[in-house]
Amino acid sequence: MATDTPSEAGFGEVSRVRGIVFEYLSLGASVAGLLALGILLVYVAVDAFDLANASPEWLLTYFLTLVVPYLGFCLYSVGDPTVTRRAVAALGGGLVAVAGLFVGIETFVSPIPRLNWPVAYLFVVVIPLTAYLTYVGNQGRVGAVGLGLIGRAVGGAAVGLAVGTLFLVFDQFVWFLAYTFGVFPAVALYVYARRSPSSRAATAAPVVGVVGILLAVFARETISTYPSDLLIFLWTIAIPVAVVGERLVTARGGRTAGLLAGGVPLALAVAGGFLAGTVGLPGPDILVVVALVGTAVAVYLQRVIEDGEGLAGLALPVLLVAGPLVGALVVGAWGVPAPDPWLDVGFLTEAPSRNAVEAGLYPAIVGSVIIIAIVAVLSFALGVGTAVFLEEYTAETGLVGTLTRILQINIANLAAIPSVVYGLLGLGLFANLLGLGFGTALTVSLTLSLLILPITIVSAQEAIRSVPDEFRRGSDAMGATRWQTTKNVVLPEAMPGILTGTILALGRAIGETAPLIMVGAATTVFSAPNSLFSKFSAMPMQIYAWADFPQPEFRYGVVAAGVMTLLVVLIGMNGTAILLRNRAERGS
Amino acid sequence: MSNTETETKTESDGSDSLITTDVQAEQNDRSAPSTRTAVAARNLNVYYGDEQAIKDVTMDIPEKRVTALIGPSGCGKSTFLRTINRMNDMIDICRVEGDVEFGGKNVYDPDVDPVALRRKIGMVFQKPNPFPKSIRDNVAYGLKIQGFDSDVDARVEESLKGAALYEEVKDQLDSSGLELSGGQQQRLCIARAIAPDPEVILMDEPTSALDPVAASKIEDLIDDLAEEYTVIIVTHNMQQAARISDRTAVFLTGGELVEYDDTAKIFEDPEEQRVEDYITGKFG
Ligand SMILES: Nc1ncnc2c1ncn2[C@@H]1O[C@H](COP(=O)(O)OP(=O)(O)O)[C@@H](O)[C@H]1O
Ligand SMILES: [Mg+2]
Repeated sequence: MATDTPSEAGFGEVSRVRGIVFEYLSLGASVAGLLALGILLVYVAVDAFDLANASPEWLLTYFLTLVVPYLGFCLYSVGDPTVTRRAVAALGGGLVAVAGLFVGIETFVSPIPRLNWPVAYLFVVVIPLTAYLTYVGNQGRVGAVGLGLIGRAVGGAAVGLAVGTLFLVFDQFVWFLAYTFGVFPAVALYVYARRSPSSRAATAAPVVGVVGILLAVFARETISTYPSDLLIFLWTIAIPVAVVGERLVTARGGRTAGLLAGGVPLALAVAGGFLAGTVGLPGPDILVVVALVGTAVAVYLQRVIEDGEGLAGLALPVLLVAGPLVGALVVGAWGVPAPDPWLDVGFLTEAPSRNAVEAGLYPAIVGSVIIIAIVAVLSFALGVGTAVFLEEYTAETGLVGTLTRILQINIANLAAIPSVVYGLLGLGLFANLLGLGFGTALTVSLTLSLLILPITIVSAQEAIRSVPDEFRRGSDAMGATRWQTTKNVVLPEAMPGILTGTILALGRAIGETAPLIMVGAATTVFSAPNSLFSKFSAMPMQIYAWADFPQPEFRYGVVAAGVMTLLVVLIGMNGTAILLRNRAERGS
Repeated sequence: MSNTETETKTESDGSDSLITTDVQAEQNDRSAPSTRTAVAARNLNVYYGDEQAIKDVTMDIPEKRVTALIGPSGCGKSTFLRTINRMNDMIDICRVEGDVEFGGKNVYDPDVDPVALRRKIGMVFQKPNPFPKSIRDNVAYGLKIQGFDSDVDARVEESLKGAALYEEVKDQLDSSGLELSGGQQQRLCIARAIAPDPEVILMDEPTSALDPVAASKIEDLIDDLAEEYTVIIVTHNMQQAARISDRTAVFLTGGELVEYDDTAKIFEDPEEQRVEDYITGKFG
């Protein structure tokens, strides 16, 4: 009897209402949050680029000369008619929908400030679609080649500019001496030792390097005449980069290709550097940028051409350069009023000013780049070092174990301390006690390093702990020392996680203002810092100061441009770090 | 101590006489008793905190033979194995008393560097644990950390051949060791262990995580390894111990070494009733 019941009544039903409610509530909350953030960013971008004043004709021109060809390129790379059809439907349908909705809201509800329907269309349809098609286009060979090439060029330029920026503060003469007497001989010795079977030379290399660098630091004061910056950068950066490129390509594609890949960018860089100097542009910076971009592109080109696939992708840079040029010509000939963006070249290269139109962010950008570079190096080295020590070197029991646990709990708590308190600590410790000065690059960098150190330590510990013990035991059983196990097995496995933690922490450091205010960083400086001890400002400080100005041009335009710049730098940094992490993940 | 020394002498004394050749010929024939001791335990006691895991064990393990350690779970087989290459040092609460002799020296002497010791003793674990590196880098790991730079590729190839893996992976030496099947991973771990040419190979239930086919490949391999290395293998599979080992040590609960003899003797006619009960499956 009892066995009959289920077959007649089915199995009954189990209520899932709570789960479903939870699912939709959390989905709704995340969508609402993202939407709010998205709208905010749209307004910031509209202000920064003055899109409210962009005429529909202006937008249409660039849409046709730049966006449509690029989307066509992506679709060509995908090579799937259904995707093309859907993309066209999204563009067309989106146009009707956005325009209709926009006009509807404006007429029946209320006017939408500082937006018009073409701009809304740009943000709601065109930008997301472009991002999506870039993503799927990158899966195809043609798209991957094109975007890879652009990536090499942009990456090379960013590194080059960052190097140039760092030498505003760091002494290039010390670097010149250190390279000539330390780095160069050490590397040469090491390479020589690798070629011939004399391992003595290989062990001597680090010693030679360290001695050379120390020598350089002492010799800096006694030597008084130095080659020009252009020659220094040529000898210490451009030539080594070219040699590395030449080696890479020679190993894959033979001598001729190697010499071309190393030589052509170097020649271009030298020519560019000298010519730029004669017309008043910063020659050394241009030399470094051209050398890095050129070599990265050359090495990439050789590989692509060797593979022989997706060569059409190499046209992408042409497309991206020609599009805006044609657009500018059309706009000029047509006489269409163009928007006047706050975020333009002048904003990035000029000093702050009382006058909103002339205001620039350059000193603050330089300040931020320098702080980030120092903070990244310091917190990465200290954080990973401490995490390795805590995880791999301390005993778990006994007095040491107890001490470690206490330390551990304290580090976790330090991560939760408000940043103002770190500012106070920096003020007391670095500015006053150690006398590093109020608001100097060094004080600020050390304070921010301290601020994010707990986060880097904890996340690095987490990453190290997630490496399975069986790898350690395997390595130990092979007769590896603790250090060899850590270096060869644990750290490579933990590196992606460590990088993720460091990225997040750096993201926090770059946006901080409270500790900067506490240690006395200037809100506004009018020239880029030229030493570690000069007064300087950072992007968030400068933006904060502008937000307080009475003129609305500052509060809307200049602040928006600053925020946009800060975001782009942040995204660029995180993007690079994510690429590095993915590479590390693939490597293991 | 004296034991090992005299035997060393016997060998070196006769090294230029005809008899040596015979002895060596005999050594390759594993049915004959080995003349030399590779590893010896003397009154060995091991404790985890207050708990004793090995109780007064004394045994001589012959060179270039397969010695199996069997016994019920928790009787201290793994602990005993780890005393030989001092992997127990990694366990904070572990304490060792007594001697383990290897190469004419007590490995617990204060002047013995456990890291250097482990370079002479390879170890293979229960769960295959290749590093998340390429096959080549896995095998070359021991060479790398010991600073060998020359002929690395040749030695990698030789070790992979020694572990009967070369034919299967020769075209994918640069792909990750983790992409191999479980049995291949275990053979990769064996290749990794023999690459620096150790004298002894310790194996802790090397086949218990593998399917029967993969396990039987490893068993065949162990047979070959004993030509060149002293193999000490922990297993809870009695058929396996009977098939591959020359000598068998039976541990019973409490870390006691109950009986240690030629494998044939242990499985056919053990002295101890407890051993017979264990082998016939009456307990354990
Ligand atoms: N790391 C350890 N810490 C504490 N006790 C341990 C540890 N490893 C093993 N033991 C104990 O030692 C005894 C023997 O363990 P083990 O050598 O692993 O046995 P087997 O390998 O024969 O199964 C067991 O009682 C076990 O609980
Ligand atoms: Mg065990």
